Amino acid sequence: MKAKKWVSYGIFCLLIPAVVAGGALLFEEKQYAWVSLCAAVLACVPFFLHFERKTGSTQTLILVAAMVALSVVGRILFTPLPGFKPVTALVVITGMYFGGEAGFMTGALSAVISNFWFGQGPWTPFQMVSWGLIGFIAGLLASPLRRSSILLAVYGLFSGALFSLLMDTWTVLWQDGYFNLSRYWGYVLSSLPWMAVYALSNVIFLLLFTPLVGKVLERIKTKYGLQGRR
Amino acid sequence: MEILHLENVSFRYPKAAVNALDGVSFSVQSGEFVVVCGASGCGKTTLLRLLKRALAPAGERSGEICYRGTAQSALPERTEAGEIGYVLQNPDSQIVTDKVWHELAFGLENLGLPTEVIRRRVGEMASYFGIQELFRSDTDALSGGQKQLLNLASVMVMQPRLLLLDEPTGQLDPIAASDFIATLRKLNSELGLTILLVEHRLEEVFPIADKVLLMDGGHVLLYDTPRAVGQKLGAEHPMQLSLPSAVRIYNALGIDDVCPLTVREGRDFLERHFPPAEPTDDADASYAHNDEVALEMKNVFFRYERSLPDVLRGASLCVYKGEFYCLLGGNGTGKTTTLNVLAGLNRAYRGKVRIAGRPIGDYKNGALYRGNLALLPQNPQTVFVRDCLRDDLVELLEAQGVAKDEREKRIAAVAEKLGIVPLLDKHPYDLSGGEQQKCAIAKMLLLEPKILLLDEPTKGLDAHAKQVLRGVLQALKADGITILMVTHDVEFAAENADRCALFFDGEVLSADVPERFFAENNFYTTAANRLARSFWKNAVTCKQVVEYARAALRRPTGEGGETE
Amino acid sequence: MKAFANYHPAVLLLYFLSVLLVGMFITNPVIQLTMLLGAVLFCIMCTPSGRSAGGIAFYVSMFLLVAVTNPLFSHNGVTPLFYLNGNPVTLEAFVYGAAIAVMVVGVMLWCRCYSAVMTSDKFLYLFGRAIPKLALVLSMALRFIPMFKRQLHKVSRAQKAMGLYSSKSLVDKFRSALRVFLAMISWSLENAIDTSASMKARGYGLPGRTRFSLFRFRAADGVLAAVSVLLLGLTLVGTAAGATAFDYYPRISELPLTPFAVAVYAAFGVLSFLPFIIEIREAFVWKYYISKM
Repeated sequence: MKAKKWVSYGIFCLLIPAVVAGGALLFEEKQYAWVSLCAAVLACVPFFLHFERKTGSTQTLILVAAMVALSVVGRILFTPLPGFKPVTALVVITGMYFGGEAGFMTGALSAVISNFWFGQGPWTPFQMVSWGLIGFIAGLLASPLRRSSILLAVYGLFSGALFSLLMDTWTVLWQDGYFNLSRYWGYVLSSLPWMAVYALSNVIFLLLFTPLVGKVLERIKTKYGLQGRR
Repeated sequence: MEILHLENVSFRYPKAAVNALDGVSFSVQSGEFVVVCGASGCGKTTLLRLLKRALAPAGERSGEICYRGTAQSALPERTEAGEIGYVLQNPDSQIVTDKVWHELAFGLENLGLPTEVIRRRVGEMASYFGIQELFRSDTDALSGGQKQLLNLASVMVMQPRLLLLDEPTGQLDPIAASDFIATLRKLNSELGLTILLVEHRLEEVFPIADKVLLMDGGHVLLYDTPRAVGQKLGAEHPMQLSLPSAVRIYNALGIDDVCPLTVREGRDFLERHFPPAEPTDDADASYAHNDEVALEMKNVFFRYERSLPDVLRGASLCVYKGEFYCLLGGNGTGKTTTLNVLAGLNRAYRGKVRIAGRPIGDYKNGALYRGNLALLPQNPQTVFVRDCLRDDLVELLEAQGVAKDEREKRIAAVAEKLGIVPLLDKHPYDLSGGEQQKCAIAKMLLLEPKILLLDEPTKGLDAHAKQVLRGVLQALKADGITILMVTHDVEFAAENADRCALFFDGEVLSADVPERFFAENNFYTTAANRLARSFWKNAVTCKQVVEYARAALRRPTGEGGETE
Repeated sequence: MKAFANYHPAVLLLYFLSVLLVGMFITNPVIQLTMLLGAVLFCIMCTPSGRSAGGIAFYVSMFLLVAVTNPLFSHNGVTPLFYLNGNPVTLEAFVYGAAIAVMVVGVMLWCRCYSAVMTSDKFLYLFGRAIPKLALVLSMALRFIPMFKRQLHKVSRAQKAMGLYSSKSLVDKFRSALRVFLAMISWSLENAIDTSASMKARGYGLPGRTRFSLFRFRAADGVLAAVSVLLLGLTLVGTAAGATAFDYYPRISELPLTPFAVAVYAAFGVLSFLPFIIEIREAFVWKYYISKM
């Protein structure tokens, strides 16, 4: 168990830089898109493997599935309001209440699943990692985030900005083959209003959802305190 | 062989004051079909859950549960998972995966069987249940009845010896429920499967059970053959209401004979004790009603999409003010659509809809819902959005701009009226089905409607809860509220409605008082009426049958009147 | 599209990866145009007719956006066409922009085909081997989504029939959507408890879980896999040997047209058009079969 954990961290720490460096050497600077794609996929691997190996409860499994489904349904429900998508908020909440791993899974799987409707593509792994990391970090910061709603709001802003910036990075890498700074600025500036709406909606959603989810989970724990053997 | 044995089993939930189960002892022989019944809160679900170790609730428990001679705690997990099957009430939430084939295979995957074995068993089960055409479908594309059959099939692939079912037909319409019960009976008689079925709709399962386990307040009140239970249960016991019509009529008449269980036996029973007579139609031909019309539809056509067929094809309907009107009919015929058209949620593309005399189009910006009309949807849970009932009610009044102290007053008044004061601070999802229904009605009443539309309000309710609902609706009617109810429940309609009508093929047919409406129907009528119609044509409820019979007993007519 | 989609998911994934690998790696214009053409043919096959107008507009504007903006951001190249704000706008940058646009649009179209062919059950089957638990979570989420949608619809209607927040203003829209969504969160998490009971009742969590699927690997799958690998190999060998080398910067190089290069183009051409070829073949076989009956 311990050894396997180290292997997975090893992948994370060694393999990804190796791929990036190898890719740069082999294919010259043009292939950053492909290299970063590989890096994105690899970044998910340790999280996935760890989740597979951990003997988590059935409950957590279902709750992650429910959160993923909610984030997809929420995307549809809020379509009349452009820019308002509850995905990030739900991912953060999952991370806060069920741990970073569950947060990562919810983020990554929400990306995969919503793209079954909105179209898969090379951007899928990037969305997976971006949302996944947002959830994972929320898990690491769980106790401060739960205590202070100001911090929660700040994290909402941060995650909204992070997601937009990461996705812009990918677009530039893909379209230019390298990190074209001037194009990057172009994209960032043109998407700034969206980013603002997006970050703000994150804050609103987080502040509204978090107490509710906390209450619901507390209720479920007391109401259905199962003698769970598994 | 004894498959299940309980010895003095008691159970108490954490922080509860009394035991949920108290000294329960009984045993079940292999191959028996046992029906477990009792009022809500009698501990039947707790009992069933305790029999399945993986689902046992947390709490204090004592006594011994043995499965095939082995103590439950000593049972290997694999045996426990495979040999004891469990089906829950809600057809939707039990389905785990997105494809039918995967759902069927789920349990076998858990048992770790190889692909080829799974392939065969799944194929076999799909064929046995007749769901092979659905094999590759999405589970969500199935109807409620199909979903519940799928749940049963995905338990049956694991080849259980003991099947536990917790109100599996509670959310199904009567036809799907009959299909489900028929499947259970087939499994029991063809495979010798032992079945423990918790059920409150006893009309159908009572006659086919080997044993009935009647629970009351955590005790076993009676555990015997259905006939003996029917005979032993006192005529005044509240559980009488849930028993089959034949048993109820038998008990109410108190004639010394063998207890009848089915409609046929009930009719034989009547024939033994009452002289054959030409049934006479003696229903009062006149029907007194208010002249004002509350709801009116004239020649209404509706379809969901242009390319789809019409759901309403020239439907016309007229409900008088202060009337209790029941619209009956099969599943998917458009009853709910009719309600939605009347409630302004669906728009008719042709025809006239008038609410309280004004065309529905005159009500703008939700004016229809303020002081005019309220619609109680099929699932009362959808009415609540807050985590405490009081908040939910307050929010509604707040949105209407009611002043703060006025809010409290109105909520208190409504709560008093419906007897839900103790429920006000609870979470809506913690309430029983009957309580949810009452609270949802309370929310509707805050809108001060003059017309109340109800969509299948008796679905999933036991006899007692129906009795309570009946009281509530009669009180509303007494206050002058017009009630239009869409239902499958012929018994409830017969007991309560001023008029009943049949919805068929996009139209409303034959609106009439229940005594005549049901007397004219041969199949679509109450069990009591089917049982007694050759004697008293207009007797549609158990109570009416008993009244007619008592009257016949009092007045000795010729040779055949055996009055003992 | 039926015949191609019926191949084994692993083979389909291999095929898509091969095409995308070449399409995203090799900047040779012949290869890029071949990829785009293959994608277009494939897309026509998998999109029902009459639903593509909006799609075409989207991809054309995408193409123009990438192609036209490149010279604004990139000033490489030796053939200035004109100057903008003192920066040269070069021919090379224009051509390179067009090439990149071909690549971007081509890859997006291939991804669209991928989405159409690799339905969720195939995806689950493939990744379910490596990550069985996650695959189960995905399958459950896919099962929940339509159920939640239905509940959402019911709750919104129930609320609407109480006249709550039903005006058309944006604030009311947001408030009503939010209320309903909050209710949905509670409802779905409560509902999940039943699901968990149903899973436990059927022995979920026992050690040694197996996986069942309906897919079988047939001989034809092997053939398609071998052909794809062979063609991919040829293309990659050609690239590694420099047979298809092509540069946009600093100046546009000459298109390689040696026999070897042409062989590589042909190999990739066949690879790109494989789904199309398979479909056509299937149509002929079916016609022949019908005529023999």
